[in-house]
Amino acid sequence: MKKRNYLDFSISKNTPYMRDVFIDEVYFAAKKNKDIYFTTPDMGAPSLDKFREEIPSQFIHSGICEQHMISMAAGLTLMNKTIFCYAMAPFITSRCYEQIKCSVAAMDRPVCLVGIGVGLGYADAGPTHYTTEDIATMRVFPNIEIVTPSDVTSMKVIIKDIIKKPRFLFLRLDRDVMSDIYNKNIKFDLKKGFTNLINGKKKCIISCGFLLNKIYQKLKISNKKDIGLIDLYKVKPINKSFLKEIKKYDEIITVEEQWTDGGFGSAVLEFLNINQISKKIKRYGLEKKYYFENGGRNYLHNKFGLNIDKIIKDI
Amino acid sequence: MSNKKFLINKSKWLRKEIFEMVVKVNQGHIASSFSQVEIVISLFYGSILRYKRNNPKYKDRDRLIISKGHSAMGIYPILADIGYFSKKELKKYGTPQGILRIYGDKSIPGIDATSGSLSQAPGIACGFCLAAKRDKKDIKSFLVLSDGEHYEGSLWESAMFASHNNLDNLICIIDRNKQIILGKDSECLNLEPLGEKWKSFGWNVHDVDGHDYDDLLYALEKSLIPNGKPTAIIANTVKGKGVSFMEDVTRWHNTMPNSSQIKIARKDLEKNTIK
Repeated sequence: MKKRNYLDFSISKNTPYMRDVFIDEVYFAAKKNKDIYFTTPDMGAPSLDKFREEIPSQFIHSGICEQHMISMAAGLTLMNKTIFCYAMAPFITSRCYEQIKCSVAAMDRPVCLVGIGVGLGYADAGPTHYTTEDIATMRVFPNIEIVTPSDVTSMKVIIKDIIKKPRFLFLRLDRDVMSDIYNKNIKFDLKKGFTNLINGKKKCIISCGFLLNKIYQKLKISNKKDIGLIDLYKVKPINKSFLKEIKKYDEIITVEEQWTDGGFGSAVLEFLNINQISKKIKRYGLEKKYYFENGGRNYLHNKFGLNIDKIIKDI
Repeated sequence: MSNKKFLINKSKWLRKEIFEMVVKVNQGHIASSFSQVEIVISLFYGSILRYKRNNPKYKDRDRLIISKGHSAMGIYPILADIGYFSKKELKKYGTPQGILRIYGDKSIPGIDATSGSLSQAPGIACGFCLAAKRDKKDIKSFLVLSDGEHYEGSLWESAMFASHNNLDNLICIIDRNKQIILGKDSECLNLEPLGEKWKSFGWNVHDVDGHDYDDLLYALEKSLIPNGKPTAIIANTVKGKGVSFMEDVTRWHNTMPNSSQIKIARKDLEKNTIK
């Protein structure tokens, strides 16, 4: 078979999709290390075609069987393989929840779960494809790490780190293309778990992923220069030094593309409670119901509680 | 002593060991552990499973998961006997001082994966077998499955995966005692025709008497010869085998015998239960 010419997403000049950069990063590492495996229950991506064609012995099509995939992944780690499981976010979390609990968490297996299209990423598909609760459901695992990158630059750092030190981690990837935040001046430090993007005075917004990116772009051109912004990309576990960062603010505003029950804002609330800090906190999230509506992601945000312009205005 | 006589003696020994462990702390599943006795004895003492005595971490060992996790405790006496941990641990089974619990978990030497939630082990074993195949290592995985696990969809996900990937190093032995908690599977939700189900998923299927060493070992030895397909051995067994009042009686799934029943059981277990 004639080899096709594939794009190298990691050096593409146009902002690529997160999933393609993610798969490319794993691909380059897997080329050098035969113990790095990639499995998916039938999720495709242009970058994955290259992986499948060039290193088929490290690719596993699990079948559209997320439950089996998770247990198999745990088995592979017990044979000293590094494994990335890649699927749509709802199906790699809720669909195989008990497998994650028993095969991965309880056995403390270094399985990396990669969920694509978190939040309302699959906006036109409806609630079957949304994850409006994945932070709440996944963060209860005591030994999990949950990371939500807000651009491809930070995501590359995360993937490299996982390859270096495989562990039980849920990587929440966005389906949409997002503009870059991180660069030479704004460094991404995975160990820290958060980045203070904008220094504020009294009030600070805390968010992650797609919404964080959206808020960042809006605050950059807003005249409200006293609102701080923190990218809390690692919501589990939250680094202790986060406390120092938010102590200076009078009011904290969390914004998440989730239902707030048990989610991102709840994690911040609990963190403050554990550290015995009393502070005014407002949590913004999606309206708590199932929506079957057309119009796209921004339309749904505006309609169901996440109108970012309004939130900024109200602060 | 012939090999068969040796195995029959091992059966008697294992049932007695399991029984005393359970009644001492009133914890465990006697009946489920008794139906699988000949299966696990065949694996460990019938030259089927590759392992090194005193070395549970031997890299190239065959893997074994008692997928029906509630009877994982049924192999603890064997694991002690082959030197995976001290025999003193058997006396501490189910106590805070001991390492042995009803359900096997990975912290126990010789337990290759935590089980207890039904039909996750087949997926884990697919991971073992696929890794071994791709690394070109002759490592097999053995699973002891229950009837009840066949109701879980994830079992069939793994069954399909194993045959598609030609995992002929995967051998599932089904402890077919035909009982689930509320009664016989045929009365609750019929599993038959079970062999045909496995066959249609692309597996080699053997139907054997699960208490007959000739029958069991014939099928197990056959399963060691790779032919591109995984193997399911349906071992027809009797739940509670060896204790007269427990045999094939549903309520003994996790009921504890009282003192007079213990006396009868001990007497029963002094006899050879199999031929």
